[in-house]
Amino acid sequence: MARKLLLEKAHVEGIRHYDVYRREGGYRSVEKALKMQPADIVEEVKKSGLRGRGGAGFPTGMKWSFLAKPDGIPRYLVCNADESEPGTFKDRYLMEFIPHILIEGMIVSSYALGSNSSYIYIRGEYDWITDILEAAITEAKQNGWLGKNIQGSGFDMELYVQRGAGAYICGEETALLESLEGKRGNPRIKPPFPAIKGLWGCPTVVNNVETLAAVVPIINEGGDEYAKIGVGRSTGTKLISACGNINKPGIYEIDMTISVEEFIYSDEYCGGIPNGKKIKACIPGGSSVPILPANLLLTTAKGEKRLMNYESLSDGGFATGSMMGSGGFIVLDEDQCVVRHTYSLARFYRHESCGQCSPCREGTGWMEKILLNIEKGKGKMSDIDLLWDIQSKIEGNTICPLGDAAAWPVAAAIRHFRDEFEWHVNNPEKCLTENFGLRHYADPIHVPTN
Amino acid sequence: MIQFKETSLKKVAEIIARYPEGKQKSALLPVLHLAQVEFGGWLDVPVMDYVATLLKIEPIEVYEVASFYSMYNLKPVGKFLFEVCQTGPCMLNGSDNIIDYIKQKLNIGVGETTTDGMFTLKTVECLGACGYAPMMQFGKTYREHLTKEKVDAIIEECRAKAN
Repeated sequence: MARKLLLEKAHVEGIRHYDVYRREGGYRSVEKALKMQPADIVEEVKKSGLRGRGGAGFPTGMKWSFLAKPDGIPRYLVCNADESEPGTFKDRYLMEFIPHILIEGMIVSSYALGSNSSYIYIRGEYDWITDILEAAITEAKQNGWLGKNIQGSGFDMELYVQRGAGAYICGEETALLESLEGKRGNPRIKPPFPAIKGLWGCPTVVNNVETLAAVVPIINEGGDEYAKIGVGRSTGTKLISACGNINKPGIYEIDMTISVEEFIYSDEYCGGIPNGKKIKACIPGGSSVPILPANLLLTTAKGEKRLMNYESLSDGGFATGSMMGSGGFIVLDEDQCVVRHTYSLARFYRHESCGQCSPCREGTGWMEKILLNIEKGKGKMSDIDLLWDIQSKIEGNTICPLGDAAAWPVAAAIRHFRDEFEWHVNNPEKCLTENFGLRHYADPIHVPTN
Repeated sequence: MIQFKETSLKKVAEIIARYPEGKQKSALLPVLHLAQVEFGGWLDVPVMDYVATLLKIEPIEVYEVASFYSMYNLKPVGKFLFEVCQTGPCMLNGSDNIIDYIKQKLNIGVGETTTDGMFTLKTVECLGACGYAPMMQFGKTYREHLTKEKVDAIIEECRAKAN
């Protein structure tokens, strides 16, 4: 049984409320942190090896140390709760059921960074969770954990929740800041990075919900202790939201030493595939990361067991690997159509492109239309190469990573399932009624050369 | 004349106070949410102009934001709004069938409202409930693990509420 740090108390009745949360040891990290120097807290986070849990996996302590500290200019901490990567629903669970762990993590982090006004930017659809967070903030304030002179330390801090209004792009940190300033969610050109010029032009750190919650156990137990959990540069625990064709969809906290096979088939986690079906493919880290066929999912190209951590999931690069991403784990069983699924994702990215950069604005629409044509049996063989061409011209040619995020799923689907696309072109009358199905299990890999 | 209720005006002032002096434009998204709830479920141009006046910004600054975010309705919607997710993970769990069923049952297409003004059907992209698919947003909360029977029950629930 893996050790739990974030969800350890998730099943304690009433943990959503302050009294229970405090009784179970909540807010200890704030008591400890307020007696430390802010720089020492940053040091602990560095030692912990914590990497951003939103998807990019950038070391959190390093991100914090980039924060500019010019005299007389406020600094801000903003929590990215705009969880909208398809397959990802872990932050929602934390905020809905254990809201105080996020608030606790934000107080410690705000103290470490010198932010006196911090914001939680939550996706607009999580309307009821906004109420839960605001109620928890009121409780924290009534008990002296927020407001003026917190616990007699001289540190003042206010925490606010701001709802977005339905835009995937606002999960990108500079788009999020634009949105928080009351504008369209158009990502900014970097540099300057938010650490230098962020919210209202002031130095700002933007961190994911799970990242900020992880600061609590790091301060309670020390960065070195936290770093002992996991393996290599994948330290601590990670929340995985598992969905798709599995017996037990839900949120699992794992230490990053377990294998992908164990995660899918063990009753402690996903519990296998429903109706005794076989697994065809999996997107292990949210819809943007490359899809992997079953054979490459369970073992790397070198034949080693693939593990649920940053290094192992990306082993082999994009040719034969994928990414940890946000931990949105999507499983496709043998009866699912990869073309149809890829079309659905392409439609998502077309809908969510902010329209600022032409490769993404135009390219996502083209990819959606071509994929729909192929899915409907109206595709040509040359369309597959055209898709490959379009995705390759989006990747790396946009201001923000949404372009890459839109290109990668299409590229990986063609790379690993090209014969499924070809089958659609060759069997137009069967496309909508039959599935390509099992034939793909353990097929050889096709890597287009152009 | 368009005017927020007293309680909403107080709420607007509270929201503006969250930001530094002169940064009241940051209140735009939350105030548009308030306006949409208070003024009939959608944002008509005079409503957006009113919000602009409240926040001391130009009307165009409101229009460009209202048209960017998918949660703001720029045309009237029914009394009850079904926003069904159709992205990958929901699709794997049969969201297409749920959407078809609602279309049939209410005799409307996606983006349309029933003639009695009761129901509007919208499809939306990933709402972060992938493990509980298929699902839809219904008012402030989600309805998850949808089946045809559950859809029937939700429609009945709405009809009962309207009476």
